[in-house]
Amino acid sequence: MNLKTLIVVALTCAISTQALAHSRWILPTHFNLSAENGEWIMVDITASNETFNVDKAMGADYVQIITPNGDVTRPSSTYKGHRKSVADYFLKSSGTYKLTNNNKPTYMTTYKVGEERKRIWANKAELVGKLPKNAKEIKTSYRFARIESYVTMNAPSDNFKTDGTLLELVPVTHPSDIAENEQVTFKFLFNGKAQKNVAVEVIADGARYRNDPQALKLISNAKGEINFTPTSAGRYLLIAEHQENTPDSALAGTQVGTVFLTFEAQLN
Amino acid sequence: MLLTLISFTTNAHKSTVHPTEITIELALKQQSGEYHRPYVASWIESSKGKSVRTLLLWREQAKWLKDIRRWWRKAGRKDPVLVDGITAATRAAGKFQLSFLAQDDNKKLLKNGQYTLFIEVVRENGGRAIIRQPFSLNGSKETFTLAATNETDQIKFSVSPK
Repeated sequence: MNLKTLIVVALTCAISTQALAHSRWILPTHFNLSAENGEWIMVDITASNETFNVDKAMGADYVQIITPNGDVTRPSSTYKGHRKSVADYFLKSSGTYKLTNNNKPTYMTTYKVGEERKRIWANKAELVGKLPKNAKEIKTSYRFARIESYVTMNAPSDNFKTDGTLLELVPVTHPSDIAENEQVTFKFLFNGKAQKNVAVEVIADGARYRNDPQALKLISNAKGEINFTPTSAGRYLLIAEHQENTPDSALAGTQVGTVFLTFEAQLN
Repeated sequence: MLLTLISFTTNAHKSTVHPTEITIELALKQQSGEYHRPYVASWIESSKGKSVRTLLLWREQAKWLKDIRRWWRKAGRKDPVLVDGITAATRAAGKFQLSFLAQDDNKKLLKNGQYTLFIEVVRENGGRAIIRQPFSLNGSKETFTLAATNETDQIKFSVSPK
């Protein structure tokens, strides 16, 4: 059930023809905590283009919390509703926790039959006999979306390990140091290397109550970095996407990486 | 022109430290209705925005320290020993005469230069106020009157070389 929903959500994202995908995000109750004996957080998990109003529940099956010492842990409990899933988690020790809700990298093939767009989860090598004869505009991509956020209890720590798979965001400004009117720097890697020309949007909370979504649009520079300054305190969703053609691959014509990062800018 | 610049720079390096007293006449505003005593922190940042000295911390439970937003981000979260050492209980609205030697957190005299005094006041079910006042340590006296906020009445702040 959860998996099915995830696939539906992923499909919705995949057919978006513009550079930036349908939004998915996780939203913790707190980004920064002070505590002597640990503290609970809860996390909302949803697929929604409205920052930060929930829309379609994504399952919490893939939610992982990487602790400050690098252990990969799971929420203590989760609940899936119609609009969102929620996860409960106890932060025991001081430091920065990385929350993720990443699926696995997947191959997807899209095609057209007449005017109808269709897609299947298969790479180029697996397509034999799977497509109707009149399929047109056949395109196969290898894609991976990272849905992530950081929560810091007491002193911040570095919890920015990368794995070299498609697009990754490395905070240069520590997420717990982000404050209104102070410059933020993030770096993007694609397959482990600094990537220029990554298309990025940063959207402030409360999109439902604005006529203009006021998305800040940025492109990463030669060092793979973006710089921006949040002008007001609040919660933000960053969406980054990058695509590379892979003409030599027998499995996919393109690689597509997406990152959805939720962060807060604190009062200064 | 270049020569002038160089000689100016050289002169600037001569100055080092002057033992200096910092006095603050802190005034927490009377509030009406539901009242919880505010959490208060006051600290000094260098011209680069780095906290060099927490002067005072009036607080109760650790779980609300994060609500003293800037102080927590710049100083509190990084040094639990400092937090424990400097903690005092919260105070009700009123006036408080406070004085400090211009030292850093390690009790070394602050070098001459530009600094900013911060006072952050946060009240449960109330508001937050943050006051910032740039000042210089250079061997001469400076006095400031800090305008009232929702959480504070007018505050007097002075820097007096001993």
